[in-house]
Amino acid sequence: MIALEHVSKSYRVTHGWHRVLNDVTCRFPKGRNVGILGLNGAGKSTLLRLIGGVEPPDSGDIYRSCSVSWPIAFTGAFPPTLTGRENARFVARLYGVPPGQVEAFAEDFAELGEYFDEQVLTYSSGMRARLAFAVSIAVKFDCYLVDEATSVGDWRFTAKCLRAFRDRREESSVIMVSHNQDTVGQTCDMGAVLASGQLTFYEDVKEALSVYSYIRG
Amino acid sequence: MAVVENRTIDKQEPFSTVVGDPWARVLAAGAMQGRVLHAIMLREVKSRFGRQKLGFLWAVFEPMALVAVFALLFAMGHETSPSGMPVVPFMITGFAPFILFRSAMTQTMQAIEANRQLLIFSQVTPTDLVLARGLLEVATLTVVFFLLIAGAYALGFETRIENPLQMLFALGCLAMTGCGLGAFFAALIPFVRSIKQFVSIFAGRPLFFISGLFFTFEMLPGNVREILLFNPIMHMIEWLRSAVFIQFESRYASLDYAVGTAIFTLFIGLLMLRGLRRRLLANL
Repeated sequence: MIALEHVSKSYRVTHGWHRVLNDVTCRFPKGRNVGILGLNGAGKSTLLRLIGGVEPPDSGDIYRSCSVSWPIAFTGAFPPTLTGRENARFVARLYGVPPGQVEAFAEDFAELGEYFDEQVLTYSSGMRARLAFAVSIAVKFDCYLVDEATSVGDWRFTAKCLRAFRDRREESSVIMVSHNQDTVGQTCDMGAVLASGQLTFYEDVKEALSVYSYIRG
Repeated sequence: MAVVENRTIDKQEPFSTVVGDPWARVLAAGAMQGRVLHAIMLREVKSRFGRQKLGFLWAVFEPMALVAVFALLFAMGHETSPSGMPVVPFMITGFAPFILFRSAMTQTMQAIEANRQLLIFSQVTPTDLVLARGLLEVATLTVVFFLLIAGAYALGFETRIENPLQMLFALGCLAMTGCGLGAFFAALIPFVRSIKQFVSIFAGRPLFFISGLFFTFEMLPGNVREILLFNPIMHMIEWLRSAVFIQFESRYASLDYAVGTAIFTLFIGLLMLRGLRRRLLANL
């Protein structure tokens, strides 16, 4: 379970401050896949970074009672001068998991072929996404934080990831931020909408999707 | 319920939420810190030395060749030994420690910039990036220093280290000062870009000529000495030479000043990283 209590976060902009989250209190229940919808710039990625512990909130507390992945996004999350294999081993060491195990799983899952031994800077964005997903699934987290799931990856690989998440439903859950309604609808059973600094939860993901399409106009 | 408060992003063990026994928490945090530094250092080794064949050898050979050439050139011009020290070892004991200091500073200074993608992992902090790089650089250049001393000995130059422990202490002071200044600049560079240019210019020629690579305090005219006595790097180098050469005992090098500067700069540097952590992370 992950809980936020009175969490606020602002960023300094040229003129004053931009408030991204305004006194948010919520709970992400164990075993539920939550899709967070919001317009561009609503603060979805920031929310994910706070949940993942990348940044601290300005005020309020964030509680976690499970292992949480890093926010898995698609652009440049991995050191570009390392190969896919070296990156897999690096992440494994960081999380204290046997590097050989993660390396073997990621090589098989990512389907990068020879490119697994090439530097990440030679990868296309879709290939980077595959590597990131493969490595995170190999490390095994209780909760996966997924940023804009399908904006880049190809549909077949996306389907494979979603299947992997569904197979793990007993052990792992997903918190996904996206503005793609289809992915959220397929993966998540619970929805939330982030707008003007407030996060509103909906027990049924369909309800969240309809609220979101109303906001989007 | 077993929860870990995460108000500030303190080191959090990702796979077990340790509560209760404070010693268990300290141990878990220590293990985590070690794991993170180990992973980052291995990554640094790979990306800096691993790309070409014989990469690490080259990393050691390059500064070695630089110092060796300078030492030999200087030896040709100066038949007599400065303050009673043999010329080639005198140059090595000035040049190699100085390079250790300078590389520690310039490398750690760029640690955050070069590795900012790694901050997406919650257990990696800006301080980790700086420390990992600093440790690696200091280790490499310590190897260089000892290889040069051994090389000089093999070539028949008189190099008997009088007080090895004191010598290591002096090297440690240079390493701490270098990493401390590097940490200080690393914290500021994202906000004040020009610092980088300023430091690389200053750490290049000027510092090189005022840090006692080519002379000792004793050899200087009084008024120049008065000014250079403010340079802690020169104190450290002079102190190191006193440790190496039995025939040399510096009358000017102040142990207190050297150690004080080392501890103070490292402390301030780490404090800056810690204090600006929020801003550094927001800057991703």
